[in-house]
Amino acid sequence: MSGGYLDIVLTMLVKDLRIELRSKEVLLTLLLFGLVMVLVFAFGFATDPAVSRAVMPGILWTTLLFSGTLAIGRTFARESKDGAFTALVLSPAARSAVLLAKIIANIGLMALVMVLLVPVLAVMLRVDLSPHAGIIALQIGLGAVGFTVVGTPLAVMAVNARFAEVLLPLVVFPLASPVLIAGVNATGAVLGTVVDPDPAPWMKLMTAFDAIYAVGGLFLFERMVTE
Amino acid sequence: MKVFPALTAVATAGVLAALYMVFEYAPLEADMGVVQKIFYFHLPSAWLCYLGFLIGAGASAGYLWGKGPKWDLFALSAVEVGLLFGAIVLVTGPLWARPVWGVWWKWEPRLTTMLLLIIFYAAYWVLRVYGGESEGVRRFAAALGVFGAPNIYFVNQAVKMWRGVHPDVIRGGGLAPSMWTAVWVSLAALLLVFALLLTLRYRARRDERAARLLRRRLGRIGGLS
Repeated sequence: MSGGYLDIVLTMLVKDLRIELRSKEVLLTLLLFGLVMVLVFAFGFATDPAVSRAVMPGILWTTLLFSGTLAIGRTFARESKDGAFTALVLSPAARSAVLLAKIIANIGLMALVMVLLVPVLAVMLRVDLSPHAGIIALQIGLGAVGFTVVGTPLAVMAVNARFAEVLLPLVVFPLASPVLIAGVNATGAVLGTVVDPDPAPWMKLMTAFDAIYAVGGLFLFERMVTE
Repeated sequence: MKVFPALTAVATAGVLAALYMVFEYAPLEADMGVVQKIFYFHLPSAWLCYLGFLIGAGASAGYLWGKGPKWDLFALSAVEVGLLFGAIVLVTGPLWARPVWGVWWKWEPRLTTMLLLIIFYAAYWVLRVYGGESEGVRRFAAALGVFGAPNIYFVNQAVKMWRGVHPDVIRGGGLAPSMWTAVWVSLAALLLVFALLLTLRYRARRDERAARLLRRRLGRIGGLS
């Protein structure tokens, strides 16, 4: 490894992707969990087509949030064994480079899950999303980035703290709530289920959120982790 | 150390003075009547709740930037006292809102921001108290304390947009000057209580830590295990 910042990011990313592609453990678990979520919501809310359309944005974004939480909780799962995390922290690699690789991997994972899950959601709730596919995909992308940049640095907790599996959602959900509010309203604006039909301000808010927490998270992460 | 008894005496006198100002000096509000008196404790408590969280975030940043374990204990104590005042806010708010607004709760920017912030710092507190005693947990919690600060802006912004461009203005702008005097006296009294509680919590945490370290040293010498 030549040790450049981007080399480290790339090495970590390729390593994680290779392991995931071989085992597919996280991807398959997330997909199944997402399907179960869709079922739960369909049983809970989808009584007739008008109701389905009204609750669609909420269902879509809660699915993203819940499956995202599972993904984020697994971020350092492989490193938590055999002292690998300690070795990673002790290595001369910049910690923020390690975090950046994990963030990119999580964003990719969530994007993949949503790409596969949203069509299923649309079909099962009988809400036609295809005319707005592009803009909804962009919104989900912005939301996934926001959720991931907030959640991934916090996932280090899972390595250290007791009750991490309970505490992680407890801190991530309040922090990510602006993303949820903005996402539900942006998608609602596109589907015509909220009063204001303009999704742009919401997407701007998400973009600002993404930028601030991406920079802040990478900056703080150096000091957050100890040997 | 003679500061503490003096602080206690002044705080007690301050609270008594505030009670006098609120119930005797300030006139009865024409529309809301006696219910409005809650406001004199509600508003200062909300400010002090934010103050506790802000001190917590600041001390957390100090700890992350190498200022030593006392800053971590101070941050935890400040968040604890902030949570106490947050609880006062969450109890007095609905008591006032029910007769005046007709509902216990509104998804209004100020209320929602406050609630999310209290939940967030309550999670910080749970992590710090039950998450285990390791350097990793302390550093993580300190980072959380800092992470919470920009969230105040985003939550507030999101809820403002969510609830439309006409936010409910909490009635309070039309206070008579004598009512404002009562608010300031009440704030001063509660600020003293805040300082008192913060001192108490911080000292308790600091002594706990000292006792733990002593125990560990004794254990190493071969006495206790």
